[in-house]
Amino acid sequence: MTAFDYWSITQGALATISLSLASIVLGVPLGLALALVRWARVPGLNGIVYSYVSIVRSCPTVTLTLLVFFALPQFGISLDPVPAAIVALTVSTSAFNCEIWRSALVEFPRDQYDAALSFAMPRATRMRRIVLPQVWRASLPGLVNEMTLQIKSTPAVAVIGIVEITRAALRVGSNTYEPLPPFIFALVLYGLIVFVLIRLQRMIEVRLRHGGIA
Amino acid sequence: MSSRHTWFTALQIKKRDGLRRAAQSALFAAVAALGIVQAAHAATAEEIKARGYLSVATEDDFKPFEFVDNGKPTGYDNEMLALVKKKLPVEVRQQIMPWSGILPGVTTGKYDMAVTAVLVTPERKGTFDFTSPLSESTTYYAVKKGSSIKSADDLAGKVVGAQTGSAMLSDLKAFDEELKKKNGGKGIKQIVEYQSYPETYQDLALGRLDAVANTQINLNSLIKTRPDTFVLGQKIGNPVYIAWAVKKGNSAALEMINGALLDLRKSGEMYQMQKKWFGASFESMPQSVN
Repeated sequence: MTAFDYWSITQGALATISLSLASIVLGVPLGLALALVRWARVPGLNGIVYSYVSIVRSCPTVTLTLLVFFALPQFGISLDPVPAAIVALTVSTSAFNCEIWRSALVEFPRDQYDAALSFAMPRATRMRRIVLPQVWRASLPGLVNEMTLQIKSTPAVAVIGIVEITRAALRVGSNTYEPLPPFIFALVLYGLIVFVLIRLQRMIEVRLRHGGIA
Repeated sequence: MSSRHTWFTALQIKKRDGLRRAAQSALFAAVAALGIVQAAHAATAEEIKARGYLSVATEDDFKPFEFVDNGKPTGYDNEMLALVKKKLPVEVRQQIMPWSGILPGVTTGKYDMAVTAVLVTPERKGTFDFTSPLSESTTYYAVKKGSSIKSADDLAGKVVGAQTGSAMLSDLKAFDEELKKKNGGKGIKQIVEYQSYPETYQDLALGRLDAVANTQINLNSLIKTRPDTFVLGQKIGNPVYIAWAVKKGNSAALEMINGALLDLRKSGEMYQMQKKWFGASFESMPQSVN
């Protein structure tokens, strides 16, 4: 492996990080919105969200990516590889995030909500002051867990030509016919990314415990 | 209590049925979408000229035909494309992607052409039209150095790997049938399918495979790089042509490229490229393989 080979896999890491980040930034709030629809049992929408989550959870990310990239142009939406990858990854992670948020919402003590209601607290304040801070705290470990899975499901979008860590490593291996060294380097990079993410989670958890943010 | 329990179970089953139906209808939608794709018509020469570009897709891990070296796509097909580009009236937009995305990309019309080593097989002729051939090759097998496999017949009872959905895999399966006829039912022990060849070679080096089937050109490249580990075996298929592929009926893109390819044959530039990448040239190929 040449220095350039290491560099090309590192570049793949940048793609992995930015794609994961984009889909997490979009997918976590989207998941919350979906979960709130189910929690509030919004008529009509509730069923749609239920089907959306069921279908997306049963669809492998690779298949979803192929559908977004190759089938959408038939409906007049032709996406380039990067936007297509972000759409596929966001759709996928939002369904899982929805269930994580929902599990916290289901466990949320209703009497607190009713108590706030009896003080005539407006709906927005009720959500912001009472529900979300507790639900956020309860969801954090699940959300970070899903993020680590999300980082490791990015190789699925390589099928439409995105060069992330695994694809970059495969390319090096197919040129040198020695696939092991690039894969070991890829593993180190994945390890580093997930390590940083988990440290971040611990930092946030410690601050939450000390009554800091939100 | 027990009746309530049954009622509950029934409800659960119904729920699960609903889920399955949802998944089924999603699948139907997907298939329908792909169906529409098949019906979509190919761009005409005027349309291609009007939009000013031809979109093509190329693989990244099929050395020496196409691979990535120091971040740049290279190999025989990429260098041939560079020569063809000079003769085209339009721009070429190239996307580098894995084999698994290439043929779907062409059948759905996302790309006009697969500029990658596509082996011309009778089955593929039903879905694709091919350019004038760029190369020819035969499926061979390779083994690990010191292997007990001395001839193709020794593959009986052995584990052999090939790329999934490849023409080499079809050749391997056909060879297996022949072997069974010859040996009274005893053929290859197991055929293992891989996403791409780098993993296949790795499994051969590790001893999980006894042999790998691929084109002679690809295996030569492998053995040139790692002569200490791998040895070329014998042929297990018939010679086939290798060409670029367009969706069946997309004659506009085909004619545009064919003119350039035949010029490159006349000038001898294609044969020089073949010598550079394969160590041999194929001068008796037909002009058309469709």
